[in-house]
Amino acid sequence: MSHSPAKGTWNKCPFCHVHVNQLEWGFYKQCPHCHHYLRLTAQQRINQVVDKNSFKQLELNMTTLNQLKVPEYDDKLAKAKDKSGLTEAMVIGTAQIKSQRVMLGVMDTNFMMGTLNTTVGEIIKQLYFEAAKHKLPVVLFIASGGARMQEGIYSLLQMNTILNAKRNFDQSKQVSINVLTDPTMGGVSASFAFEGDFVIAEKYTQIGFAGRRVIETISTEKLPIEFQDADHLKQHGLLDDVIERSEMADYIGRILKLHQEESSC
Amino acid sequence: MLEKQLQLIRSNNRIASTEIISQIITDFTEIHGDRVLGDDPAITTGIGFLSDIPVTILAVNRGKTMIEHQRFNGGQVRVSGYRKALRVVEAAEKFNRPVISLIDMPGADASVDSENHGQSQAIADLIDKMGALTVPNLALFVGEGHSGGALALSNANRILMLEAALFSVASPEAVAAIITTNDDVSEYLPMTSSQLEKIGINDETILENDRLIVNIKQALLKHIQELKLIPRDSLPMDRSDKFNRILATWNTGE
Ligand SMILES: [Zn+2]
Repeated sequence: MSHSPAKGTWNKCPFCHVHVNQLEWGFYKQCPHCHHYLRLTAQQRINQVVDKNSFKQLELNMTTLNQLKVPEYDDKLAKAKDKSGLTEAMVIGTAQIKSQRVMLGVMDTNFMMGTLNTTVGEIIKQLYFEAAKHKLPVVLFIASGGARMQEGIYSLLQMNTILNAKRNFDQSKQVSINVLTDPTMGGVSASFAFEGDFVIAEKYTQIGFAGRRVIETISTEKLPIEFQDADHLKQHGLLDDVIERSEMADYIGRILKLHQEESSC
Repeated sequence: MLEKQLQLIRSNNRIASTEIISQIITDFTEIHGDRVLGDDPAITTGIGFLSDIPVTILAVNRGKTMIEHQRFNGGQVRVSGYRKALRVVEAAEKFNRPVISLIDMPGADASVDSENHGQSQAIADLIDKMGALTVPNLALFVGEGHSGGALALSNANRILMLEAALFSVASPEAVAAIITTNDDVSEYLPMTSSQLEKIGINDETILENDRLIVNIKQALLKHIQELKLIPRDSLPMDRSDKFNRILATWNTGE
């Protein structure tokens, strides 16, 4: 999935537009000039947060089909598979974070902007099902532009049916930690993203229901730069906390430790 | 064709949710405010009798005149509206009252305030609560209903649609902008009452003839009476089964 870039290559930071050497982005893919983060692939995210070699992917053998025969969808799916090296926008499995077992789910924006469709929805329901069955905490890294239009109402109905699966999981009394990463929008934001015991965001994440551009065209005023930014949401009381990428594994590990059953301590 | 249908359901002559309330509900008593932030006029909530059954009503208002349209924000429910609906639904559960949603909303309120006040959280909370309800809930699509807000009001045991109503993942215009087609988007994505009846989302299409009000009242009564036979604890399962049956028809390539 990941490949190391050739030494000495440069690319432009999408935020401050300064040219940055590949090596300067570092392990956490952070711009040395403006400190913004690059979006991660699922594999990169897993490498950053789980204990070394502890991730065991749960393969589900599902393929997304263009059942509604929407123009260009087949082509978009093929390109997304090519670009991401994945079969869909979400990877799940078991892992250890700071020596504690969890069910982990990671969305990948390289696959059609992490949009929620029937397959991604089914994968998330499986994640909650498996976590409940094995009594494991859930850690979800969310990154999505919202519902995938090409599957119409079937995408929309993932929002309520995922929450049904989540309620079943909640009966197992295991903790759920949702980490909102860039971007967390639309039908994903308005369903499972905000339904967790902990809802935190990675710093510099855009979070919202309606898109910034849509709001900009409707409203007459210029939107402030911090609008829909994670820190701005935290100030409005909508997030438990905003965490730097380098602190993420420690933060999650601490929350997990605080929710361990007494007998296992 | 879809364009004509949109004109019809968006016209000022289209029956409004409040007109349905005044013609089928007796002793209607409105309940205002979310007790936190305000009272969203885009959604009327309250209790009343349908025939002799006490029911809870969640009704989205679009507005018929320019002034109403402005007041109701064109049916774009704001955060306090979802919060108001949530608390009224919680009370319905306490008093074992069926919940009826009347839906006529174009989509999300795209505004700075709604984002800053937690529109996502408010919609998610209402979707979740409606799914878990141990009283029967029914949704009637009066006009159009799109996106997560409409789903929050229609995560119900039964969904009914007026003949010309639409229910979609996003407004037809928004869908067309993303899947870039000049065709009617309904040629691909099921969203009309007959299309959604075929795939099991719409449980009954209500004919828009000169007996419209009678048709609505009879259909609601029939479905409430059927749902009252289901034990209260089984209602969440009945609801999730409905949606799982629909999704089971989607080929996952397994
Ligand atoms: Zn930069």
